[in-house]
Amino acid sequence: MSIQAVNITKRFGRFLALDNVDLEIPSGELVALLGPSGSGKTTLLRIIAGLEFADSGSVRFDGNDISGQTARERRVGFVFQHYALFRHMTVFENIAFGLKVRPRRYRPSNNQIRAKVRELLKLIQLETLAQRYPSQLSGGQRQRVALARALAVEPGVLLLDEPFGALDAKVRMELRRWLRQLHDEIHVTSVFVTHDQEEALEVADRVVVMNNGRIEQLGSPEEVYNHPATPFVYNFLGNVNLFHGRVDDGKTYIHQEETGHVVYVRPHSLEIDRLPNGGSHFRARIKHINSAGPLVKVEAITEWGDPVHVEMAQERFRNLQLIKNENVFIIPKDVRVFESQKKVASK
Amino acid sequence: MATTFPLTNLSGAAARKATRATTEGVFIRWFLIGITVLFLGVFLFMPLAVVFSSALAKGFSVYFAALREPDALAAIRLTLIAAGIAVPMNLVFGVAAAWAIGKFDFFGKNFLITLIDLPFSVSPVVSGLIYVLIFGLQGVMGPWLAEHDIKIIFAVPGIVLATIFVTFPFVARELIPLIQAQGNEEEEAAITLGASGWQTFFRVTLPNIKWGLLYGMILCNARAMGEFGAVSVVSGHIRGRTNTMPLHIEILYNEYQFAPAFAVASLLALLALVTLFVKSAVEWKSRQQVAELEVVRVGEPV
Repeated sequence: MSIQAVNITKRFGRFLALDNVDLEIPSGELVALLGPSGSGKTTLLRIIAGLEFADSGSVRFDGNDISGQTARERRVGFVFQHYALFRHMTVFENIAFGLKVRPRRYRPSNNQIRAKVRELLKLIQLETLAQRYPSQLSGGQRQRVALARALAVEPGVLLLDEPFGALDAKVRMELRRWLRQLHDEIHVTSVFVTHDQEEALEVADRVVVMNNGRIEQLGSPEEVYNHPATPFVYNFLGNVNLFHGRVDDGKTYIHQEETGHVVYVRPHSLEIDRLPNGGSHFRARIKHINSAGPLVKVEAITEWGDPVHVEMAQERFRNLQLIKNENVFIIPKDVRVFESQKKVASK
Repeated sequence: MATTFPLTNLSGAAARKATRATTEGVFIRWFLIGITVLFLGVFLFMPLAVVFSSALAKGFSVYFAALREPDALAAIRLTLIAAGIAVPMNLVFGVAAAWAIGKFDFFGKNFLITLIDLPFSVSPVVSGLIYVLIFGLQGVMGPWLAEHDIKIIFAVPGIVLATIFVTFPFVARELIPLIQAQGNEEEEAAITLGASGWQTFFRVTLPNIKWGLLYGMILCNARAMGEFGAVSVVSGHIRGRTNTMPLHIEILYNEYQFAPAFAVASLLALLALVTLFVKSAVEWKSRQQVAELEVVRVGEPV
């Protein structure tokens, strides 16, 4: 089922949570709504689910306007950040709930329900824990049960609100890979909310970057990461160095003082060398080196006194043999210039 | 488990140290314990003992005769009727109010909470008087009621109304914090899974609040059966007809029939003891539930 949100606006008191948002999600895609807290991503998800209603605008599933329908009528699968499992029911009863509450005419027989639950338990690899209560499960297991419960009613759309937000880093990593695999198997149109850019870039087919109730950019993970449309997206997806600068004749210049333009450079797009090498460059002094991890992170102070972050491969670092307080040249490789804004939101 | 031996040792030492730092000398400890025991003895255990010993002072035959006497039976029956109506009504009202306050935000919410607390802050005598002033012969609705031959004051309906009023807050007060703590997510989950409002209430909300609900009902019932002030004002003290157990005890006592008075009083005391016992059991059970709730909330990793 495709999802369409048309001109959605939502206020909470004086706070504008969503400002005329338009979004179209084709059938079968896995889409991430990515943004900082307060960007409106969860509100948008809840409006699609029917748990919240927009002040204006409409929601359409497969082109049909369902804005007037309640959450119950929309038949979406919703997964909550804190799982929201029914704590007085076993895992089995939790998953069977959506089938058991159906009106008698549409309710499957007990045998059918049992078969369906067993099939889902197999899918989430928790077949042996059917009789456990939620309090006896780990966080990762609970979230898988919540997912199975949502899938039991065979929803046209699966909506996940920060599904891995309450889990620790390792489980989160496993679970998101598992979600990706699951989606490749069942192909249900899925939208998940996250504030973790890594998660969004790794799992989603497409990423919707949100800020201040608006959509900043919509695109594939590759697009939003390598070709950020706005300064906000540049800032939010990964680390970035900011310099004052200007563009002249297609060439970018970095300045010490305010120019009305800001130059954005990712740390891995800066190169350190002992010689200026002819190209554009500036001087800096090494202040701190962190060589733990796949990339070596170097913090330096520019000749005009601003901090600058550089990332380089371990091999390059070994060849250079940089030491603290050494004076070096920094050569920007790939930069992007935006007009400076009063408030460029930072991560 | 990851806990190793030295670690256990360390936490044990820390615990001992903390105890030593916050404890008092032997003398002060025994002094405080002594005062507490003395206080409990004089104000709680002695009266209880007196009730039962006075009730049985003239032997078991007098004791049972006092309970089998028609007026006493009528008083017991009336008390059971009043509590039997007041508790279910306040159960329904309390759940509805707590549900509204706990799950929704609306204008005037704080005012409603204050209103629910009103019977706690108003003297029971005043509560009784309110009904006399409304439904009594000289009251606002008095003439109309008299015309239609409906008796509320000095009759059973008045007693039931007064009992409902004074026991109004117990269930709601018990449930509001519980429902607020549990949040809306489980209900939202139920609705997205296709459950109707009633299904959500009976299958999700009610099981989650059942121990708190039972606890509130027990307190409500104890108060309904023991209420004296408000009921006294509206009852008219007609023997065999509008006397509840507490009122019956007062009459017997004023007539110097001590043994029968204490015999009936012992029933109320017994009720109190049973209530206490059940209450402790329910409290223990609901604490367990809260502990489970916390485990779920914390959401510890694998």
